[in-house]
Amino acid sequence: MTKRFKNIFIGILISCASLAALPMAQAADDDAVAQAIKARQAGFRLYSFYAGQLFAMAKGEQEYNADLAATLANNLVAVTELNNGMMWLPESDNTARKGKTRAQPEIWAADSNIGDKAQTLKDAALGLSLVAGDGLDALRGEIGAVGEACDSCHEDYRAEDF
Amino acid sequence: MGQDNDSSAGMSRFEPQKVWDPAIRIWHWMLVFSVVSGWLLGEFRSFSTMQWHIYAGYTTGILILFRIVWGFIGPPPVRFRALAVTPSTLKKYAGKMLRREPSGAAGHNPVGAVSVILMLVLLSVQVLTGLFSEDDALFFDGPLASMVSGSTRTTLTAYHQLSSKAVLIVVLLHISAILFYLLWKRENLVKAMITGWKIVRK
Ligand code: HEM
Ligand code: HEM
Repeated sequence: MTKRFKNIFIGILISCASLAALPMAQAADDDAVAQAIKARQAGFRLYSFYAGQLFAMAKGEQEYNADLAATLANNLVAVTELNNGMMWLPESDNTARKGKTRAQPEIWAADSNIGDKAQTLKDAALGLSLVAGDGLDALRGEIGAVGEACDSCHEDYRAEDF
Repeated sequence: MGQDNDSSAGMSRFEPQKVWDPAIRIWHWMLVFSVVSGWLLGEFRSFSTMQWHIYAGYTTGILILFRIVWGFIGPPPVRFRALAVTPSTLKKYAGKMLRREPSGAAGHNPVGAVSVILMLVLLSVQVLTGLFSEDDALFFDGPLASMVSGSTRTTLTAYHQLSSKAVLIVVLLHISAILFYLLWKRENLVKAMITGWKIVRK
């Protein structure tokens, strides 16, 4: 009996110790850099959500709806125009934070032209928003430039895998 | 013909033979077209042409399937049995490979057989990974992409890209080997792949 109580006591002690250690492990995973990475990824999720439905309409996989198309394109413009520079902290690339981000160190290099690539996307999104509600053909005419702006930045600055 | 009176000298040791059947010849040049166009449409992709990349990929996949069937039921020179080389036959042939004379194989020579298998395996990998790939910039997905998780999709897309580099290298090697046979060994394999007739050692 006493031996059994001793075992239970030790068990509880170990459980408490590991529960106490858990928040510490989480803290290392949720510092300023980790938060910035999550925030900018959330931004890309928004791009993808708005653009994805416009692409689906352009390809005939989703029914074209002029009001929805205009709203999606306007939202895309709004999120591409946010100044999110503060999310690109030093030491937040895919060598410093392996497995968490695909952002390559070249983004931070002196000869980086990621700013130009971001501007290309802004221009393409704006161009799309001017016509997205004017019918499917108008949408199709402008949407390619948006996807190609995403693609060109991924090609240079996003790793293929985590 | 047939009489062996000067068998020690020059081309008389060789005779033309019909080696490649029409199906494998048509297959080969269709494969050249589908692989070259698929590769270019993938590497230099745009929203308006990406669907054609996927069609080129399906075409390549169907051609690979045909080649697998033909490897079992086709004529002897294209059977997989004829492609099965052992390290010793490979070593024996590799020793003679630099000689300035046609190999005269009645099908693939051992080094050629290895490269054929390599190309077929690599192109299968290319097609299979493509089926699960996703293009999240131009919003095109392979037909099976939604069957796997997002992270698997990302990984298979990365492999699709990696193996496209390997395909490029192997095709360039393939073409270099053909040029080597033409210019160094004076053996025109390209003509054989067009007409079916090949210079074969008696
Ligand atoms: C059914 C077959 C195929 C499908 C569904 C498919 C699908 C795809 C997709 C969705 C992408 C875009 C990936 C990205 O955005 O990074 C891609 C890229 C690519 N594919 Fe395919 N593919 C197929 C077969 C092939 C074949 C047979 C080849 C070449 C022999 C090929 C060569 C390429 C190349 C070179 C790229 C560009 C990689 C890069 O530089 O980003 N694909 N393919
Ligand atoms: C213009 C470029 C090319 C030329 C001139 C060419 C020529 C040839 C020749 C002459 C052979 C027969 C080799 C022998 O006798 O041992 C051959 C076989 C083969 N080539 Fe090509 N080729 C070309 C491009 C390609 C490409 C792009 C591919 C696909 C990636 C390819 C795939 C193959 C395969 C798989 C075989 C084996 C055929 C069999 O199973 O019997 N070739 N090629």
